[in-house]
Amino acid sequence: MFKSRLVVVWFVAGICSSIAFSDDWPRWRGPNMDGISRESNWTAEWPQTGPKLLWTCEVGIGFSSIVVQGERAYTMGHVEDNDVIYCLDVNNGDTLWKHEYPSPLDDRDFEGGPTSTPTIDGDRLYALSRAGDLFCLDTLTGSVHWQIQVAEAAEVRVPGWGFSAPPLVVGNRLLLNVGESGAVLNKDKGNIVWSSADKECGYASPVVITGAAKPTVVFASARAFIGVDLETGKQLWSERWLTSFNCNAADPIIHDSKMFVSSGYNRGAALFDFQNETPKLVWKTKELQNQLHSSLLYDNHLYGIDGDMDDGPRLKCVEWSTGKVVWSVDELRPGGLSIADGKLLVLTQSGELLVAPATPHGFSTIARGQVLQGKCWTVPVLANGRVYCRSVQGQVACVDCRE
Amino acid sequence: MSVNRRRFLATAAAASAVVSAPHVHASSKDKKYRTALIGSGWWGMNILREALAAGQTKVVALCDVDRDKLELAGEEVMDLCGDEPNTYTDFRELFDKEDVEIAIIATPDHWHALNTLAAIEKGAHVFMEKPTGHTIGESQAILAAARAADRVVQVGLHRRIGPHHVAGMKFLKQGGAGDIGLVKMFVHSRGGKETPTKNSPPPENLDWEMYCGPAPLRPFNRKIHPGGFRHYLDFANGTLGDWGVHWLDQMLWWCDQHSPRSVHSTGGRPIRGEAVSNEEEQTSDTPDCQIATYEFENFTAVWEHRQFAGNGPEQPSIGCCFYGTKGTFHMGWRDGWTFYPDDSKKSTFHQDSELQEPDGHNLKLLWADFLSAIETGGRPVADIEIGHQATTLSLLGMLSLKLGRSVRWDAEAGRITNDDEANRLLVREYRAPWTYPVIG
Repeated sequence: MFKSRLVVVWFVAGICSSIAFSDDWPRWRGPNMDGISRESNWTAEWPQTGPKLLWTCEVGIGFSSIVVQGERAYTMGHVEDNDVIYCLDVNNGDTLWKHEYPSPLDDRDFEGGPTSTPTIDGDRLYALSRAGDLFCLDTLTGSVHWQIQVAEAAEVRVPGWGFSAPPLVVGNRLLLNVGESGAVLNKDKGNIVWSSADKECGYASPVVITGAAKPTVVFASARAFIGVDLETGKQLWSERWLTSFNCNAADPIIHDSKMFVSSGYNRGAALFDFQNETPKLVWKTKELQNQLHSSLLYDNHLYGIDGDMDDGPRLKCVEWSTGKVVWSVDELRPGGLSIADGKLLVLTQSGELLVAPATPHGFSTIARGQVLQGKCWTVPVLANGRVYCRSVQGQVACVDCRE
Repeated sequence: MSVNRRRFLATAAAASAVVSAPHVHASSKDKKYRTALIGSGWWGMNILREALAAGQTKVVALCDVDRDKLELAGEEVMDLCGDEPNTYTDFRELFDKEDVEIAIIATPDHWHALNTLAAIEKGAHVFMEKPTGHTIGESQAILAAARAADRVVQVGLHRRIGPHHVAGMKFLKQGGAGDIGLVKMFVHSRGGKETPTKNSPPPENLDWEMYCGPAPLRPFNRKIHPGGFRHYLDFANGTLGDWGVHWLDQMLWWCDQHSPRSVHSTGGRPIRGEAVSNEEEQTSDTPDCQIATYEFENFTAVWEHRQFAGNGPEQPSIGCCFYGTKGTFHMGWRDGWTFYPDDSKKSTFHQDSELQEPDGHNLKLLWADFLSAIETGGRPVADIEIGHQATTLSLLGMLSLKLGRSVRWDAEAGRITNDDEANRLLVREYRAPWTYPVIG
């Protein structure tokens, strides 16, 4: 799988051309698709009174996180009988435009509302609803370039909790985790290039294996992680990964010819080696169960939320090569996390924002403060010196961390 | 299925001849019991994990109608202890092919009787989850079969042996709370109106026909499986048939297994809304709130559950309160037990819980007690008769709710006094080819 270095160059170049490096946060898991910001010109030296809230605003019920490009931030929420896609002014939280479409709240299993995060690609914004309504909007005006009902177009079922995976742009293609092993659309026109069987998908974002001989994407299905040829949609391999509720929600992490996967409901985590084309188990553990949020790989350690979100999950640091737990914080009740400049940004389920060095030496908070009220299960996002936090009920708090 | 006393004795004797009779040869801690798990989902695996941790279990077989659950359980067993159990989707085939010394039954309630009776018939000792039946007749049949075959049947009432329960009960029985005049058992949570969920084809990994088994075959709905059967009356009896059995058992423990003279229950679905079940969609159909009053000779016990509003001023939200002449004693779950003297100037007594995780239980102690009963031939702490009595009270509550009137229970006869309609509800129709167990 790692034979041709020529293809590697082509492929990495392909990604870089579509998501240029900057301090923006153009999609779920950020510019490098690892949940880590390289931004260093920000500070967690907050005043005695706590972090400075630049503004707050309401975006409706949901779990969608924030994406940022320049002066604009985007997210989704549910308001009355509609889903609403918001474009916000990062300076004051004002709504610059919004796009609404009818959608049920669908609060049978949880609070409801959209769960996927929009994706920015140049002057286009892609957003997917739980029922499968997919929109390509103009980032400046919010006007619709195209829209489709992707469950109908791809002839695939909607999974139990609805579609949750953020769209992924690779070159001129738009990748969606729908069906057994994904679907690919032409990002300019919205027509389907290929789709997969009508079997339940998982909830994680598609993840590209950089450096693969064939351009390969990993899709989390309900019951496996499947490596797919990006060009044709052909399944190259499948690593069976069953969970109690067909819930593979955390993005797999690809690094150093290995793939890390993790799920909740007492499933656990595993590391697979790709050196010999098909995945081979390196280690397996019950000690890291990512029910919703993907772990973050930083400096050969995984930082992740272990345990089901409703059951008092733990924040853990786990060694990448062995799966051994280095440390665990049991009382924090983390709701989401990211890393910026070597520091963990943790939003607790009760709306407190914590900053602590991402280090195997232990979890030691260097700054903390209440930024939101009510339940928070969405990752905090740093972009251009501002940290964006969101509650399930739809309050967005913009924390000023500019130096 | 007929549970014939003589046949059971014969079967048990035959089993002893081929299988090594566990309580004769099992005094050594090296003894590994050939164990089968029927129902290898969430709770079944909690039990099996504790069984494995105790070191006297060889897992020979797993059974589930959901092949994904089966595969997950098989993988975990192998990771935990290296055993490679055979897997089955039909418990009858399992008992035909396997030589089982201990069966763990952790299926939905409507399967408990047939699974347990099959295990006993094969000469196995049984660790079964509560309740001991979906209807009272099933529970009576298990009790009769266990006694006839002289098998140990431990019911998963781990609160019978949990350290804070044992200590709290000692405090109560020694008169710590004075004379008790009222017992309140309760479980409160949050919730609101329920919207129907669309039916869907059963997942490819699920044998839905077998899941329904003796219960009516209804359209599949993902709210039922996995994990939702308790809220569907075809398969279980709601919160009273679940949590209720634990807390009723605590009350029965305290009052030395006395039987109530009458039972009356009211409740319904004022918040969740009327139950929906059609070809298109379904809601759950168990009550979102229920009160059941058990009238004993010297005291009254009240069950109350509510799946809305939270616990509000009535802290805490779960457990069992004994109201006595010296104060109020609360037996809780994670919060241990607490005694509040009637004189508010006096300070409270409290003991923390000591639970195993995940899910906060005391299965470790209950499993050890089960093995000890097998080895000594004695009765386990949550013996089938104890489980049967607590289950019976919960089911009498359900029965009164359905009838809309109180019932008088004759524990000696195992019948409701002077009420033919109510007595007909002690059993249920089974869907063919399954037949309701009859005590022969």
